[in-house]
Amino acid sequence: MSDTKIPSGSDTQAIAHATRQNVLRKRSSGRLMIFGFLSPTLAILLFMVAYPIFSLIYYSFYNFSALRQSTMKPVGLGNYAYLLSDPELWERFIFTGKFVFICVTLQMLIGIFVGYQMQKNFRGRDVIFTILMMPMMLSPVVVGFLWRYMLNSEWGIINFLLSSVGIAKIDWLGQTNAALWAAAAADTWMWTPFIVLLATAAFRGIPETIYEAAEVDGASPAYRFFRITLPMSAPVLFIALILRLIDSFKQYDLFVALTGGGPGSSTETVSFSVAKTAFSYFYTGEASALAVILLVIIIGLSMILVRHLTKMGEKY
Amino acid sequence: MTHAKTSTMDLAARWLVLGLLVVYTLYNVGPIFWLLLSSFKSRMDLFTMPPKLFFTPDLSGYQSVFGVGAAKDSASAIGVFDSLVNSIIVSVAGTSLAVFFGTLAGYVCSRFNFMGKGDFMFFVLSTRMLPPVAVLVFYHLMFARLGLADTRFGLILVSIFANVGLATWIMKGFFDGVPKEVEQIAIVNGYTRMYAFTRLVLPMVKGGIAATAGFCFIFAWNEFAFASILTTTQAKTLPVKISAASGATGIEWTQICAAGVVLIIPVLIFFYLIRKHLLMGMTFGVLGRS
Repeated sequence: MSDTKIPSGSDTQAIAHATRQNVLRKRSSGRLMIFGFLSPTLAILLFMVAYPIFSLIYYSFYNFSALRQSTMKPVGLGNYAYLLSDPELWERFIFTGKFVFICVTLQMLIGIFVGYQMQKNFRGRDVIFTILMMPMMLSPVVVGFLWRYMLNSEWGIINFLLSSVGIAKIDWLGQTNAALWAAAAADTWMWTPFIVLLATAAFRGIPETIYEAAEVDGASPAYRFFRITLPMSAPVLFIALILRLIDSFKQYDLFVALTGGGPGSSTETVSFSVAKTAFSYFYTGEASALAVILLVIIIGLSMILVRHLTKMGEKY
Repeated sequence: MTHAKTSTMDLAARWLVLGLLVVYTLYNVGPIFWLLLSSFKSRMDLFTMPPKLFFTPDLSGYQSVFGVGAAKDSASAIGVFDSLVNSIIVSVAGTSLAVFFGTLAGYVCSRFNFMGKGDFMFFVLSTRMLPPVAVLVFYHLMFARLGLADTRFGLILVSIFANVGLATWIMKGFFDGVPKEVEQIAIVNGYTRMYAFTRLVLPMVKGGIAATAGFCFIFAWNEFAFASILTTTQAKTLPVKISAASGATGIEWTQICAAGVVLIIPVLIFFYLIRKHLLMGMTFGVLGRS
């Protein structure tokens, strides 16, 4: 009996679902609506994303400068071969990699820690939360200049504070390593609130009953955190991680304002290098090839993100 | 004995947590406080050592941002007022159109199944990940050919493109929250789907539209990479103008700080207005643009 009952139940559900879909589709020109409502978005994205990307791929096979647009010399994979054998480009990638690694590590650790504290209900929580979010609302250019202003080795507030505890002046933006840490500090300052925001939301979404059950079993706070909180919020935290990975990898604005790529060209990210090649040297073909390389990396990372997003979408 | 020991350890742990939180809060809030304070400093007070906490407020930075007072004619003023106007026009127009298009697309994605829907959604989402400088290499050429370089219209176009994907995703999330029965009942009662959409569903997602607009505005308002490459003189927005803020006497820190404060005020207002939808929007919109 029960064998026949269960499938028939889901069958009627499926039929009901199908008729509902049919009603929705047939009534009043659904197809026209789909077309009409999607076309502006689709048109602008095709024109502003698909067309430029295909053009970039096309240009990346040419020796070509935006300044002399009449002379285009096909070079096959020459631009790619040149770029990939250029030790300077590898330096950009290594610098960008270091920057991404420091930023993402710091932001995740601090963000999870603060988010864990912020999930508790306490007086003034909303106000504190809003204040904590403020760095994220600033323009990256303002953030860059603000930190450049504070990090000035002569009259900056940071060296002043350090000197008051007996640390000698540091030429923050004049040395490659110090500049790397300065940029990471600025990026972390700006984007840790983002992790706090997501982590808090994820932590608050964990049902209280699970903690209560653990309490009964006498679980320690450490056990609570590492065995319940972290695993249960892992999907959201992972998405936050990938997003920060992508965003810090393509970071450009901050470096324009903070270091200008200097000292020398030691703090140029890959994005910065694309901009410099294209808009200072006008090696458009070469810049296109570099942009394509950058796009391939970003698309790869995005696909990991999207796979997890859709997995999460199926779950909830 | 062991009990007493663990409780002192607990206490130590609690103090450690509190101490770390205080350090983080100082790191988080300090620079904002310093920005606000510096925006009221005169050029003299900026460079004094030790830095002054108390000083006579000087409004020259703000005067030059709003193009009033003595700063207007002085040689060191970089004249950011025009760029403030550009910023307002570009971000308001860009946001309105992006939200309008995104609402339409989000509705269709929420309610209909069509061929290639998954691909369309991925394509829309991927625009958020796109490194601006990559497409800029080509925009630079395209805008020059089409006569769009250094125009507000060109920047509005970029602003729509940069935000319409986000708007589509966030609005889809809000539409998903409205039961499908709303349209079904309307259609059964002889109304058209268009009527159901405009008169019944749209009013139900009013808050969502406001939140989406808030998000898009924040990104459009702070946008730098596109505006910095695609403008030269006429259409510069405030963030671009700030990045070029060096006058006769080096970098004009007072003006930069004042402009930074002016830039954050509308964002704060929007943030306050959309605070209820913040998490929802963040999750659906897959988060801000850096």
